Amino acid sequence: MQLWEWLVTPFQYEFMQKALGVAALVGVVCAVLSCFITLKGWSLLGDAVAHAVLPGVVVSYLVSLPLAIGALITGLGAVMMINWVKRNTRLKDDAIIGIVFTAFFGVGLILISKLPVLVPLVAEWTGRVPAQLDVRAVLFGNVLGIADEDIIQSVIVGMLTLGTVLALRRDLLLFCFDPNHARAIGINAGLLNGVLLALLALTIVVSLQTIGVVLVVAMLVTPGAIAYLLTDRFDRMLLLATATSTLSCVLGVYASYYLNASTGGCIVFIQALIFGLVLVGAPRRGLLAQSQRRRAAATPTVVTREASAGSQRGNP
Amino acid sequence: MNWLTEPLAYPFMQTALLTSAFIGVVCAVLSCFLILKGWALMGDAVSHAVLPGVVLAYILAIPLSIGAFVSGLASALLIGFIKRRSRVKEDAVIGLVFTAFFAFGLILLSRTVSDTHLSHILYGNLLGIETDDLVQVIVAGTLTLGTILVIRRDLLLFCFDPNHARAIGLNTAALYYTLLVLLALTIVAALQAVGVILVIAMLITPGAIGYLLTDRFERMLLIASAAALVAAVGGVYLSFYLDASTAGCIVVVQALLFFVAVFVAPKGGIIARARGRRRAGMISVPASG
Repeated sequence: MQLWEWLVTPFQYEFMQKALGVAALVGVVCAVLSCFITLKGWSLLGDAVAHAVLPGVVVSYLVSLPLAIGALITGLGAVMMINWVKRNTRLKDDAIIGIVFTAFFGVGLILISKLPVLVPLVAEWTGRVPAQLDVRAVLFGNVLGIADEDIIQSVIVGMLTLGTVLALRRDLLLFCFDPNHARAIGINAGLLNGVLLALLALTIVVSLQTIGVVLVVAMLVTPGAIAYLLTDRFDRMLLLATATSTLSCVLGVYASYYLNASTGGCIVFIQALIFGLVLVGAPRRGLLAQSQRRRAAATPTVVTREASAGSQRGNP
Repeated sequence: MNWLTEPLAYPFMQTALLTSAFIGVVCAVLSCFLILKGWALMGDAVSHAVLPGVVLAYILAIPLSIGAFVSGLASALLIGFIKRRSRVKEDAVIGLVFTAFFAFGLILLSRTVSDTHLSHILYGNLLGIETDDLVQVIVAGTLTLGTILVIRRDLLLFCFDPNHARAIGLNTAALYYTLLVLLALTIVAALQAVGVILVIAMLITPGAIGYLLTDRFERMLLIASAAALVAAVGGVYLSFYLDASTAGCIVVVQALLFFVAVFVAPKGGIIARARGRRRAGMISVPASG
């Protein structure tokens, strides 16, 4: 009864209905993409794009554009710069990514610290005073006060991303899993690379309000990793990732409401707890199953040769 | 000239300049090893993972460095454990663990710490650094520099070629953990200057600049330290005159130096290659004729 009340009470508030809806959408979009990102090994790139959107967000806020536009421009700009440096130096990828995204983030911080000066300047130019920018919401997520226009934006961008991923599902999967094979059977790998990057940037834009730039990478990695521990089949991986991610997003919004803590922090922490549970208890690959198998493997050392030969035959 | 000396009249600027220069050098020295080892992502992870430790230390009223050190190290050990025991790729494990730590820190923060403290932890507070913090910075920094100096040959071999290091009888496991401890210590020192989110820039960029400009490790150390020094001092000045985020300014100056290095690198730099191409073009003309 108490749990029921705990779940239902927040629903009386309109802002909570909106927040839960947006969080569920974010959960689905991120989960679907995370299956591809974990296969491709793009976690660090996701982190980089997420941090690199900051200056774009601040600038588009200043000139009263949708935040998504600025975010997309600087996010993709960072990727282009990473590729340019990669072509022109002998540095390792991880170092280049780190240098470029911190530079973008640094510019964003400088802009934020200059907002008290920049806002009146822009207002004088354009005659429009931008509303308050909630810096903490951008960094750490706060979906509880999300504005209607941001909801519309999230829904449009989210649907666009989901639609593209589902339409290109097979090609993208092959590209992530084995790019050489993809190229061999005539798939345009360069194009898919670009498409996946754009999808990554769009997903980050969708989850910006809910999770915040600092923690978005968790949404792009953890659901895929959880599902990867549970199944070998990609279709099931997609379903499992979506289920866990949506569950953590919804629970995270509740936790954020009750604890009065940042939504991003709550969602990501709950998701990490689920990963911990799966890591320990997954049916075949979990730590418990591993140690059981080891114990089982330790016993037959005294078994006769025939038995061990039999078990080898049974083990292709 | 006045431009340079005017800020020096303020005691807080003197402290800020000296502190940032010191932290810059400590980070630069370690960054040379991290670049060779390919530990940029690990640095990013540990620097985010210190957050819950910092908050807990604040709640328990013990030095923040101790909390930061413990939780940074714990995250690194957890990453190592999960990587060994599951089939999830390393980059995903790292991303997963550090965001979990950071999220936990955020939840703790929202229950306890004031907004000013939050921003100091996240972006550093170089211009208002207090004596206690300064002592922690100096202890952590000196410890790091001293250790590196003593075991620099072993550490270098371990970063450059761990198999060879093992073959000649070095204890690579011990070196691995030593490097982790040094990483955590450096992050603790650098927290004060640039905060949790941008520490990683201090731990990669100077080493990368050195790596682009030379093939010899001693020179790489010198170039990295010099670049970090220039960026630290230049960044503090910039932040003084722009009245903008100190962390942001230091990191942006560092990135600018990096792009200069990309252009002027003697081997593989953009200018060097353009010149090489022109020379190759000149030779090919008489050959074809």
